[in-house]
Amino acid sequence: MKRAGRIAALGGLLALGAAFLSVGIGKGQMTEVLSKAIRICLECIGIG
Amino acid sequence: MKRKSEWKRTAVQAASLLLHNANLKGFVTGKIYQGDLKQVCVPGLNCYSCPGAIGACPVGSLQNALQKSKPSFPFYVLGFLLLFGALLGRFVCGFLCPFGFVQDLLYKIPFFKKIRTFPGEKYLRWLKYVVALLLVVALPLIYTGVPYFCKYLCPAGTLFGAIPLLSLDQLLSDQIGPLFWWKLIVLIVVVLVSLLISRPFCRYLCPLGGFYGLFNRVSLVQLKHTETKCVHCDRCVPVCAMGIDPKTQFDSTECIRCGKCARVCPTDALRLGLLDLKKKKEEQTA
Repeated sequence: MKRAGRIAALGGLLALGAAFLSVGIGKGQMTEVLSKAIRICLECIGIG
Repeated sequence: MKRKSEWKRTAVQAASLLLHNANLKGFVTGKIYQGDLKQVCVPGLNCYSCPGAIGACPVGSLQNALQKSKPSFPFYVLGFLLLFGALLGRFVCGFLCPFGFVQDLLYKIPFFKKIRTFPGEKYLRWLKYVVALLLVVALPLIYTGVPYFCKYLCPAGTLFGAIPLLSLDQLLSDQIGPLFWWKLIVLIVVVLVSLLISRPFCRYLCPLGGFYGLFNRVSLVQLKHTETKCVHCDRCVPVCAMGIDPKTQFDSTECIRCGKCARVCPTDALRLGLLDLKKKKEEQTA
């Protein structure tokens, strides 16, 4: 892939990532992540 | 000078391990951190049930979003993954991932004869994509309510989450059953294989590494190879942590950007750097 193509792809991916993050925050998905992460994940530790 | 550079990477890895698990009092109290930082996904594989974890595991969070009875498109988690991937690619694996650091430390133990690759290496490396598609995406979507990767495979959860928590919490340790022993066996196998070959979990099984690898060709952090400087001495080949040929596969999805090859290169044909935003006339990367 040529340099210009790489730069364009990088810019596009960064923009997409930022857009996804914004939409996710707008949809309240950070709260879903938080509610899972603050409880002990029984599956993760092998007893769930 | 070159020795010092390797220590720099080790120092960054140690600092990253500490930052991922900065809630040190959790290792005394046996309680996990429950503050607001936990809504932020960390770049590396680090279980959010580790008593020290201050952020959310991106793989666990992704499965959590997909495993619900009414799954939603995981914009938030994918947003983090896209940003980490686009900026860093597998540099995350080489410098930031706590479980990658553990494997690096294990490989430094000199008791066993080291091997560079397994027979069928090329095919084994595809396993991580099977793991990602099957255990992280497909099965949690189809059979809701179970994070299959975390439950049946993730050795980071056993090492960073289960062992410290179960050793500190009697109520939890009373519930140990076959599933825990299965996960412990997986961890022991990964540990033993890590003594023989560098980064086996990263090479063959890690869905996060597989995902970040897809960005290696376009990420901001790059391993660069200048063909005109290369004397084809092949010093870079045996030191590669991922068992690839850095001078021809510097753009590979397998390269974790650890920079070991660049440190042994006598002509600086290989180097870690940022994607050139301005064209340089004197360098033509192959």
